[in-house]
Amino acid sequence: MENLTEVLQLFLSIDNFIAIALGVVIGVTVGSIPGLTATMAVALALPFTFSMQPVAAILLLVGIYKGGMYGGSITAILIRTPGSPASACTLLDGYPMAQQGNAKKALKAALFSSVIADFISNIALIFFAAYLAKIALNFGAPEFFWLICFSLTIIISLASGSMVKGLLAALLGILLSLVGLDSVFGSQRLTFGNYNLMDSISFIPLLIGLFAIPEIIEFYRKKAIPHIKAKASGVGMTLAELKRCMKSIVRGSLIGVIIGAIPGTGATAAAFISYSDARRRSPNKANFGKGEVEGVAAAEAGNNGVAGATLIPLLSLGIPGDVITAIILGAFMVHGLTPGPIMFQENLSLIYALFLGIMFSSLILLVVGNAAIKYFSLIADIPKSILFPIVLMFCVYGAYAVNNMTFDIWLMLAFGVVGYLFNRTGIPAAPFLIGFILGPMFEDNLRRSLLISNGDMSIFVRGPITWFFIAITFGSIAFAIFRFFKDRNAKLISN
Amino acid sequence: MSSSGLSNVKQIKDTLDVITGVVLLLISLVLAFYLVPNYIGEPSILQNPMMSPRWLPNIVSWLILAFSVLLILQGILVSSDTENDERKIVKGPYRRFIIMLIAFLVYVLLFETLGAILTGILATVLLFLAHPVRVWWAYGFALAFPVGVTLLFVNVMNVPLPLMPY
Repeated sequence: MENLTEVLQLFLSIDNFIAIALGVVIGVTVGSIPGLTATMAVALALPFTFSMQPVAAILLLVGIYKGGMYGGSITAILIRTPGSPASACTLLDGYPMAQQGNAKKALKAALFSSVIADFISNIALIFFAAYLAKIALNFGAPEFFWLICFSLTIIISLASGSMVKGLLAALLGILLSLVGLDSVFGSQRLTFGNYNLMDSISFIPLLIGLFAIPEIIEFYRKKAIPHIKAKASGVGMTLAELKRCMKSIVRGSLIGVIIGAIPGTGATAAAFISYSDARRRSPNKANFGKGEVEGVAAAEAGNNGVAGATLIPLLSLGIPGDVITAIILGAFMVHGLTPGPIMFQENLSLIYALFLGIMFSSLILLVVGNAAIKYFSLIADIPKSILFPIVLMFCVYGAYAVNNMTFDIWLMLAFGVVGYLFNRTGIPAAPFLIGFILGPMFEDNLRRSLLISNGDMSIFVRGPITWFFIAITFGSIAFAIFRFFKDRNAKLISN
Repeated sequence: MSSSGLSNVKQIKDTLDVITGVVLLLISLVLAFYLVPNYIGEPSILQNPMMSPRWLPNIVSWLILAFSVLLILQGILVSSDTENDERKIVKGPYRRFIIMLIAFLVYVLLFETLGAILTGILATVLLFLAHPVRVWWAYGFALAFPVGVTLLFVNVMNVPLPLMPY
């Protein structure tokens, strides 16, 4: 009862409600502007949370995440430009519906399925995060060491595109995370005598540089594309149509939850699996790909079912499942909090206040999403030539705000160039960021294990939990190798 | 170039992957043989070599080396999907790109001397001119946003940005 009062005290603050609403509005707005991504918005919003209370700060970022996921589907449906990779599946049926004059119906289907999936995902988060954290309380340094190994391998093995490039990106991220003073011996590592690097590379300039600056560079580097105008025409979704899609929405949400809870898998896989599952089971399977409302609903359910579930490994184990949860992890750290099983013991009220806020964000998404359908053209018609200079200004101010140093602006621009080169060479940025976050955790748990055991390596195979993690780590490596050869053979055959 | 040289280049399935692999290979060699031994201090007495501050950077350097070789091999043997290659862009005029670089320099070189507001206005106007914004009222944003956002940072969020010149 005492805890409940504390939770309500933490949650029932006007700041939290404003943060959620503002977050969802920013997310939907940014998501519905082609070329801007939810990741970019979350990265840019992070410096604004410095002076906020932890609950409001995290809820703002979660709101942007959720809004961005829905916002991405608006452009996918109306102008065949997915706002996020996960929305690529939505356009398979959404865009043909828009061409047939049923854009509004597709957008409503996307919104309703997004909200329902988001709600189911949140429920899963509330139930499973606490349960998993309870199990994780039995983990020591060797168990966490293997858990981090598993997370790294699965993030790389499931990275889109080339596995070799995913691995290289993660290794580069780990390497950069080691710059600074060594945590045990205090010796300098790759600082080159620069005192700005002694305290390691700042997370926020790296983040903004990697996810916002490349888009700006690309915009000024490439040939201008004519602006496409679109309107949400037609009638909305009927109750009968929603009922018809309900089974696919629930199944898609559960697929999203399962996939989202595994670090590294992501919303894109969930959207496509949910879509193909719905197509397989639907009596209208022949209509899929030609403008089937159930296809839009299934894709969006899979996509949004991931949102709450990706927070399960983050909150219970302290392991980020994707780029956005990695940024949210950064926000926790900025506020002096470390997600993981210990947080469930020491800050339980804060976690439950967050859960309440996350549940409330689904409701806000419904309201804001409806308004976005109405006013989409107002948002999407802002020319990027006006938008990007303002985005750059936010980037610079945000990077400088971390330590009040021009060095951080340099750092941000340097990582912007790195991010641009990544895009041009096909190296994925997500494993790089996750490597940067997991690198120090990996080293810290390795050293702690060795210190505990006095250098005895058998500590790494000390019991069933470590055996389990070793098995799934090697399983994930085997899967990655299998996928590599399968993709290579498929390419050779197609050539 | 001799005809055999040309045919060797033609045999490479993905030149960009090969170039990326070579660059990363060189970086890993510099790391493993120069940067890690010279720029990472190691205590004279160590109970376990795995506790050394050099241990993980060393392992990572060698792994980068190994995987960059794999990337080179991948570039030689496996062709990329040329139709859906997201790496390729159609380049626009250089003038636009150079003005963007100048705007970047304005931010890094003048941010503390001119203050956040003036550099914000200057860089935003430059970028508006780079990708020409022909609606005159839009230039009002170039004035209003730097002022508004700076004041938001300073007064609402208590983040001290440099306000005025010097």
